[in-house]
Amino acid sequence: MAEEQPIGSILLVDCGTVMTKATLLEQVAGQYRLVARGEAPTTVEYPWSDIAAGIRHAVDHISASTGRRFFEPSGDLIIPELRGQQGIDAFAATVSASQPLQVVLAGLVRDLSVSSAERAAAGTYSTIKAILANDGRDGGQSEGASVHTIHDAAPDVICIAGGVEGGAAEPVLSLVEAATLASSLIEQSTRPRLLFAGNSRLRQRVVQMVGKRAELSVADNVRPTRTEENLLSARAELDQLYVQEKLERLPGFEAVSKWSAVAPKPTARAFGQLVQYLWRLGDSSKGILGIDVGAASTTVAAVFDGRLFTTIRGDLGVTFGGERMIQEHGAETVTRWLPEPVSADETRGMLINKVIRPTSIPQDVRELWLDQALAREAIRTTLELARPGWEPGAAQPYPHLLPLCDTIVVGGSVLAHTPRPGQAALTVLDALEPIGVTTLVLDTHGLAPALGIVAEVKPLAAVEVLDSGAFVNLATVVAPVGHARRGETILRVHATYGEGKFSVEIGYGDLEVLPLPPGQQAVLELRPLHNFDVGLGGPGKAGKLRVNGGLAGLIIDARGRPLHIPGNTEQRQSQMQQWLWDVGG
Amino acid sequence: MYYPFETQVAPLTTVRRRRMLPAPGTVGVRIGDQVEPPQVIAHAELPGDFRIVPVARLLDIPASRVNRYIRVKPGDDVQEGQVIAKRGRLFASTVTSPFDGMVTASGGGRILIEAHPTAFDLRAHMYGTVSNVLQQHGQYYGVVIETPGAVVQGAWSAGEESFGVLKCLAETPNDLLEAEAIDPASHGTILVGGRGLSDAALERARQLQVRGIVVGGLSPELVPQAEQLPFPIIVTEGIGVVPMSGPIFHLLMKNDGREASVNGHMQTRWGIMRPEVIIPMPADTVPPAERQPGAPLGIGARVRLVRTPHAGKVGTVVALPVHARRIETGIRVHGAEVDVGQEAPIFAPLANVEVLR
Repeated sequence: MAEEQPIGSILLVDCGTVMTKATLLEQVAGQYRLVARGEAPTTVEYPWSDIAAGIRHAVDHISASTGRRFFEPSGDLIIPELRGQQGIDAFAATVSASQPLQVVLAGLVRDLSVSSAERAAAGTYSTIKAILANDGRDGGQSEGASVHTIHDAAPDVICIAGGVEGGAAEPVLSLVEAATLASSLIEQSTRPRLLFAGNSRLRQRVVQMVGKRAELSVADNVRPTRTEENLLSARAELDQLYVQEKLERLPGFEAVSKWSAVAPKPTARAFGQLVQYLWRLGDSSKGILGIDVGAASTTVAAVFDGRLFTTIRGDLGVTFGGERMIQEHGAETVTRWLPEPVSADETRGMLINKVIRPTSIPQDVRELWLDQALAREAIRTTLELARPGWEPGAAQPYPHLLPLCDTIVVGGSVLAHTPRPGQAALTVLDALEPIGVTTLVLDTHGLAPALGIVAEVKPLAAVEVLDSGAFVNLATVVAPVGHARRGETILRVHATYGEGKFSVEIGYGDLEVLPLPPGQQAVLELRPLHNFDVGLGGPGKAGKLRVNGGLAGLIIDARGRPLHIPGNTEQRQSQMQQWLWDVGG
Repeated sequence: MYYPFETQVAPLTTVRRRRMLPAPGTVGVRIGDQVEPPQVIAHAELPGDFRIVPVARLLDIPASRVNRYIRVKPGDDVQEGQVIAKRGRLFASTVTSPFDGMVTASGGGRILIEAHPTAFDLRAHMYGTVSNVLQQHGQYYGVVIETPGAVVQGAWSAGEESFGVLKCLAETPNDLLEAEAIDPASHGTILVGGRGLSDAALERARQLQVRGIVVGGLSPELVPQAEQLPFPIIVTEGIGVVPMSGPIFHLLMKNDGREASVNGHMQTRWGIMRPEVIIPMPADTVPPAERQPGAPLGIGARVRLVRTPHAGKVGTVVALPVHARRIETGIRVHGAEVDVGQEAPIFAPLANVEVLR
């Protein structure tokens, strides 16, 4: 039996839409440690047209700080490590730099099968180009109009859902016919595939109907009954399609694949893997969430009872997608989170400038706030899409609120690189509105996706890197649920830490930050009043628990759930400013 | 090493541009031919529109019975208004073709009619010499045109392609282009402004049928209007009121009165396209080829700062500090010290520095 090669050094890379991040892990005194990291603009576009170039640029920064040489003069990575700090033993990459899969969804009922198909598509990097629903809403569409819609959208795939198991056949088959016809009208080289994920009893007829006019694959019915959803098979098909049609076609992908024993993965998939891995290390009665806000996409990964639910908005990040969002939903969607007046036109101007220069960063505080406002909306929008597909079980005491989460892992430059940690914490609290007691963990180095791969192939290394401080605690949050008059005391908190202690009374509507730095622990005694629920077993239940400090301290978010945002513009801006001050932002 | 974003501002270079057909077609010029902007250099036939005619529904009969009433078959040419299906004699129900085209399929009670292909003429868009004809597997895709000239890349644009005489209406990069400055002599020209233009100026330019506008900035309120203009508008710095960068302004001023080609096509991802102004020039000797982007940022580089509060300022990199520094928002970043002609150099994040090459 071959002896396993020892791995003393690992190079991890994440090729994002805008930036490529590289991290060097090394065994130091028998334990893996994060040694150095580098970052450079991604090089998918002209003049580079090669993702490997961006990796080399990012690794150059590591070379400069460590003296290690990574590449042969030919540009190939030196693997395994040679004497004299040359090369590395292992390499792993995650990639989100490719164009999302362009999808047209077709189904019978917008709120049922189409909605499930939408969640299936959100399991991979995708953009929904058009939705065809046969439920007569908005007047429905004639076959000719449907064919035109598909033809104009020029998608990579048409995902057809619809029909509960054993349900009506004709409406589903007419969608299949329209999709096939539209597909056959598109030139062979760009002809979209068909994915049938509807009533499985129609499969045979669908196969016959499509014939050789289009390429067809089938998946399990995404909506087998009115109340049941089954996305696994359709998600796998779409994800595979994304990898084949988009990821593997990135310029330079093949060269990068050769450096790695494990094929480069979509960033969101690896991110989800890490979140699932972290769930095993925490309180399994609760869920765990992972949020990754990128320049062009937003990922929400949730794990309940060990099951992972990954949802990606492949068309909405803090750089790309913002302009379309305000065009569709109005600028106030974003400006409502700003502490100062910013007109709709000015907002649009700032969003266009971000797209023109995607690698640039805000130097003006108003532009910084806009980025954070966009992050809030990107998370909220993705969450809205994700939540109906979750199965949180006992972790969800209130159906209309977020389930109880032990930990929320937060990543993406907009959150990891805020000037003050309170801004990142407030962005997450506003966007997610967690309940009970939750720890916010910040992925400051953008390591989470790559560690997802490491956790798969070398779990010990992932644990050691996590233990060595790859992530930092952003805050511990206590968010009571209940109703009271504004200002009325709803919670008494008594904290003991080291040799100190303090007590504080929390009024309804307060956002209180108590100093508890990272590395410090405290025992919290929480005594809710007026039947408020702090996640200790139900309304009015008090208890003690040990919590960890964070960069933003211990935050008592008693603003209420769901969060109330004043309708009056001036009051709202003053409220936003107050909350920013409260968290030290 | 940091590899910054780059913008081309070249006073004299050998400009080479590919002119591509949207589909394979025929090329009407040969290598060495001199071409002019309006000249058609290649041609292609593009697929026409299509229509699914629901014959069974229109005749109010089941799909299974429709064949006996259909008067056309796949492959038949049809004219707009031609009867393609008819039921009954005295008070017959008829279905007619919606346009001229060809029947390409029928079945399920429907007829698919595809319109005749539409002709697409590719024009040269610039003065120059054909340096290559692009073909693959015996199919022609386009040509490469080459000319000595100046190039300025823009940051944002709306509209398509155009050409005309450059007419500079600003005296400084900070001037705002007002309607009064646009006189009837502006008809058919490409106007060059400073930091932006007014709503009235935009309307006046439209009325006088100018062929293009090049400005430093554009107020966000004017973006929707700019997107509807019948001519291209190129913004060199970004959205907002931003003075045009000195090097760009002076290059355009110097070429006031020369003919220029303006390309308003812009794509920010998945095959980036940037708007540009090309000014062909006579040259006794062949100027150097366009400098390829992709060099690391170094001391002495001519750069433009791209984010507020320094957006549009141009200067020279005088230092690349090793350590990160705090910027206006409070974050610490690596940056460059840029001499913009003020008392002290400005420290700007590397991410917000763009090389002008």
